[in-house]
Amino acid sequence: MTNPLDPILLEVLKNGFEAIADEMALILMRTAHSPIVRDAMDYSTALCDAEGQTIAQGLTTPMHLGSFYDAMRHLSVQYAGNIHPGDVFVANDPYLASGQHLPDIYVIEPIFSGERLCGWATTIAHHADIGGLVPGSNSIGATEIHQEGLRLPFLKLVDRGTENAMLMEIVAANVRVPDQVIGDLRAQMAAARAGRRGLEALLSRYGADTVARYADALQDYAETLARQAISEIADGTYRFVDHIDGLGENPEPIELHLTLTIAGSEITADWTGTARQVKGGINAPLSFCKSNVYAALRSIMPGDVPNCHGYTRPIHVTAPAGTLVNAIYPAPCGARGITGYRIIDCIFGALAEALPERVSADGTGGSTLPSFGGTHEGRRFVFSECVMGTWGATSTHDGQSGVPHMGSNQSNVPIEMIEADYPIRIERYGFVADTGGAGTFRGGVGLERQYRILSDDTYFGVRSDKCSHPPHGLFGGETGKPSSNVVNPGAGERILPSLPVLPVTLEKDDVYRHIMAGGGGYGDPLLRDPRRVLDDVIDGLVTTRQAREAYGVVIAEDGSIPAIDPNATETLRATMSSARRTMN
Amino acid sequence: MDTAATSLSVEIGGYRVAADIGGTFTDIACLSPTGQLVTRKVPSTPDDYARAIIGALDSLGADLGITGDSFDEVLHASTVATNAILEGKGARTALITTRGFRDVLELRRIRVPRLYEPLYEKPAPLVPRRLRFELTERLDATGSVLTPLDLAEIEALAEQIAGLDIEAVAICFLHAHINPQHEQAVADILRKRLQNCFISVSHEVLPEIREYERTSTTVANAYIGPAVATYLRSLAERLKEREITGRLLMMQSSGGTLDIESVIAKPATVVESGPAAGVVGAAHLGARAGYPDIITFDMGGTTAKAALIEKGQVLSTDEYEVGGGISLSSRLVKGGGYALKLPVIDVSEVGAGGGSIVRVDAAGALKVGPHSAGAVPGPVCYDAGGTEPTVTDANVVLGYLNPDALAGGAVPINSAASRAVFERQVADALGCGMHDAAFGVHRLANIAMMRAVKAVSTYRGRDPRDFTLFAFGGNGGIHAVALARELQMKRIVVPPAAGVFSAVGLLFANFEVSRSAAFLKRAGLDTFSAMISTFEKLQKDVVAELADAGAKLTWKADLRYAGQAFELPVEVPHGLDAEATLKVIRERFEEEHVRTYGHALTDVPISFVTLRVVGAIAPPQTGSLALDAAPTPGTGSVRPVYFGSEQGLFDTPVVARADLQDTPRPGPFIIEEYEGTTVVPPDASAWRDRYDNIVIEFLTSEVAA
Repeated sequence: MTNPLDPILLEVLKNGFEAIADEMALILMRTAHSPIVRDAMDYSTALCDAEGQTIAQGLTTPMHLGSFYDAMRHLSVQYAGNIHPGDVFVANDPYLASGQHLPDIYVIEPIFSGERLCGWATTIAHHADIGGLVPGSNSIGATEIHQEGLRLPFLKLVDRGTENAMLMEIVAANVRVPDQVIGDLRAQMAAARAGRRGLEALLSRYGADTVARYADALQDYAETLARQAISEIADGTYRFVDHIDGLGENPEPIELHLTLTIAGSEITADWTGTARQVKGGINAPLSFCKSNVYAALRSIMPGDVPNCHGYTRPIHVTAPAGTLVNAIYPAPCGARGITGYRIIDCIFGALAEALPERVSADGTGGSTLPSFGGTHEGRRFVFSECVMGTWGATSTHDGQSGVPHMGSNQSNVPIEMIEADYPIRIERYGFVADTGGAGTFRGGVGLERQYRILSDDTYFGVRSDKCSHPPHGLFGGETGKPSSNVVNPGAGERILPSLPVLPVTLEKDDVYRHIMAGGGGYGDPLLRDPRRVLDDVIDGLVTTRQAREAYGVVIAEDGSIPAIDPNATETLRATMSSARRTMN
Repeated sequence: MDTAATSLSVEIGGYRVAADIGGTFTDIACLSPTGQLVTRKVPSTPDDYARAIIGALDSLGADLGITGDSFDEVLHASTVATNAILEGKGARTALITTRGFRDVLELRRIRVPRLYEPLYEKPAPLVPRRLRFELTERLDATGSVLTPLDLAEIEALAEQIAGLDIEAVAICFLHAHINPQHEQAVADILRKRLQNCFISVSHEVLPEIREYERTSTTVANAYIGPAVATYLRSLAERLKEREITGRLLMMQSSGGTLDIESVIAKPATVVESGPAAGVVGAAHLGARAGYPDIITFDMGGTTAKAALIEKGQVLSTDEYEVGGGISLSSRLVKGGGYALKLPVIDVSEVGAGGGSIVRVDAAGALKVGPHSAGAVPGPVCYDAGGTEPTVTDANVVLGYLNPDALAGGAVPINSAASRAVFERQVADALGCGMHDAAFGVHRLANIAMMRAVKAVSTYRGRDPRDFTLFAFGGNGGIHAVALARELQMKRIVVPPAAGVFSAVGLLFANFEVSRSAAFLKRAGLDTFSAMISTFEKLQKDVVAELADAGAKLTWKADLRYAGQAFELPVEVPHGLDAEATLKVIRERFEEEHVRTYGHALTDVPISFVTLRVVGAIAPPQTGSLALDAAPTPGTGSVRPVYFGSEQGLFDTPVVARADLQDTPRPGPFIIEEYEGTTVVPPDASAWRDRYDNIVIEFLTSEVAA
């Protein structure tokens, strides 16, 4: 092993590993059965080395991807001496298996060269339901994990080639939509199998020693690049405080406190000061917290850093046990995604000072997750989807509208697919004017999605945020408009909180409207090019009133085509900025 | 399965000529009635693409001593449609949608094509929000009318659009693939009221479920419609002026040709016209020479492309985005381009070509691409101002490319400059010799291209070792053998005229018409008669358009297990009874599911999604191709060539294709031709088959790493 590394072979194997992880992701998506996996793509795939360190990720969900290592350590220790070719492992429990939350099920297959364990094909997918209090198994109102559904420690779903039929039956019996759950488990097994075959081909071509040596070298290489990127950030301590709106009908804000310390090539995210874990399903296990920290910091590194475990080595996470970001048994975590989004947002918030040109202002804070369940024409149904999203503005362009949160690169579900399969009609899906935070660059424009329920006695739950703490702007940019959840808008409407704890029942022809928050602006709105304001007015994204009040741009509408009134604009902007000076 | 044997009702006795118009070169291939193939490579004329074709036809006619009316058929492939989108120079287009949904186009499927990029910007929609209009109307998922159209509102909107200087209008209503009446009514009014506008209607363009994909496809069709029509009409006009009155056909992305009036009506079908032509040619020539299972490898200056042919059949996909950038994962990570959900030959592409730039990164790793030196300034060895080392420079350093000139002497090469830049910018940084540095680059380019091959093979459950690598494009023959070695493929075929092969491929494409319909039903006895009547209706439309009783008609269904969201295409037999038909459908679907994904769900019902009828007419049969080979000055010489540290440096002879016999000649040697170079390393041998293909095989079955 003394001969030097061949940089060419390193690149060859890196490409080989990445191609395998991508192939796994493609197979999982294409064979999955639930809308949340097959359409929204809430799943991840990775190839790990024998120690369970990720060597390549499928282009899937960042907030999953950094968590494989902890789960793999758990599995390796628990099954030491009892891991064989033909085994497939399954788990979901945050406490018994270092999992994420119960709907996210791992399906993992070991990969051997002869008798030697050489790696793991790992998948995780968000299942449509795993039982528990509510359809979709992401109850905000759960107070302990036992209410959230079926808990699976690491178990052998397949033992040396023999499928554990009993385990399959237990899963099927405990979920509301067994066809979807079993179908998705089979999709995960197909993806893991493809991953195993892919690595087996590399092992037989290059030998187990060489593959292992170069996988290690890839980790070192990623670490080197990560350290270089971190070294370029000015040393110092950067702080940020963010909020989740809070639980239930009279919410108390839940605080996240981040102290980010950069010292040379190392970075530490310290969450001391963050709220205690809560009696509601939004608690994050530590593995999930770390995963989100890694994802956020990965995004300020250059694009060609390999997405493997090595890049996380210079990153340290401290979080006191028993807090929202390091929950301990029996804290419920069904809807913990929201906390993950906020962890990422905190990192960007803290880094804005150090890297003003590398981060955007705040966005919608992740997907809104409405869930509907009931019985229609004699069949049980569960429908949940991810509604997304806007980003804040940056130093060079307006915030993006209709994009996923950085933490979860998911898709919307086609309206025609929903209406063909579920007793739900989508009545509106589009942008809402004046929601983007004003700025030299405007925040992304918020959007609405309106559902009409076509079945009586339908359970409804939603995980949303950013109503009482809308997305902040940067460097003079304004806050985006807050989100809202309304049942039967208009006279007699019922306004729901961001995270309703009490169950909501909808009857046939009830309407639910969600408006997402707009992104935060970047820079002083009075410095926005008036022509861009005019464009927004013509496109119906900004009203003439907001053009005047937020941007100081006067749009004349006497002609058939709106036009800037340059003199009035100059005067108004001068008045507005002198009024500001007086106030200061 | 065919309703009639393949035959051609019209005898074509004259010359057939094909032109593949690329961004830099226009390739021409002309086939005489006796099978003589003449090729030309001329610079493209981007200000007026037709000029290059007309000029080339003039000179061909003069050389062959024939007049314009001797050309019975002019076939062509062109990037005109793609360019309109890539350059944002399409028509000023309006979109009309169901009320409440004008932003579906811009919201897309949300997903972005890259992870970890907070500064990412989405591509701008082809229709800005100000030109997206809503009409009051609504259908449900069964096609029942929930809200009727309001005629007065339509008239008012038509009036408004008439005043907006609009060139094209796209119409896409929810669930119109199930019930087209509302779209039809609006289209009728607009076609009357806006006679100069190109009207694109979703149920005509893509009658399939998923509103974003259908809207995007309909919009893209509208956006490129006027440009394609103008271009094709002008080309037809100018051919007529030259008295070239043979029929003018264009290649579709699906690999079949179509008459230009049909293309003008649905221009979105020709977006991937160029890449399709080469793959179709490979399928045809490959099958004829005894290689029905092929992976094509088309390497040019900026990209390399791969496609899969199985039992002579080209594999297609309909998950495609135009302008999505070059990405292998495009099937997985969408959002970078404009969804165009029409049948396209499944070509995967990577940004590795002769012009790909080489660098050593901050952590000391060698990188090839994705940046390209392009045609200008090009590689360092072109002496046209390029200063960064490229893959082509590596190939010059290694001795694979002629050190003095390419293209039969037309393109001079400064090999000293290539060596100097490698020494200075690559070898020193890597701490190795110049040859090893260049060989590393050559190998990394192969690794990038390997992913293109894997995307069409292992990603779809196919093992590349079961296929022959069929190499063409300007750089195909230089990299093919090394690429095959990496993939443990056993045989490489380099066809004649490999450098203009896409043009050659056009000559072999079927004339093809297809029609599809949404059919969202479970497969079963209860839906069987509805399925048959849908197929029969589609077939009637296809036959009417083909106007040829001898066409080969194929029924296809896109199927999935109930509950899945992605389909696999299966050919449906006609003429069997219900039970037998359903049995065959299930068998074929499960066979494909097992092959692609490794498992079948034998107890889960199967659902139809789309039914499709394809009618094809084969081109006139040609005998063996005889290529007029241009002389190449380098042949007969010997030069030092490096094949990596394991095989070493060899004094390597340079030969012509014609020097090869029908028995294998052991490597190393290099075959130089006017259109390209083929490298045969020491561990391989090559011979020439009776179709003039170069066939290369490794000397031992034991393939070196």
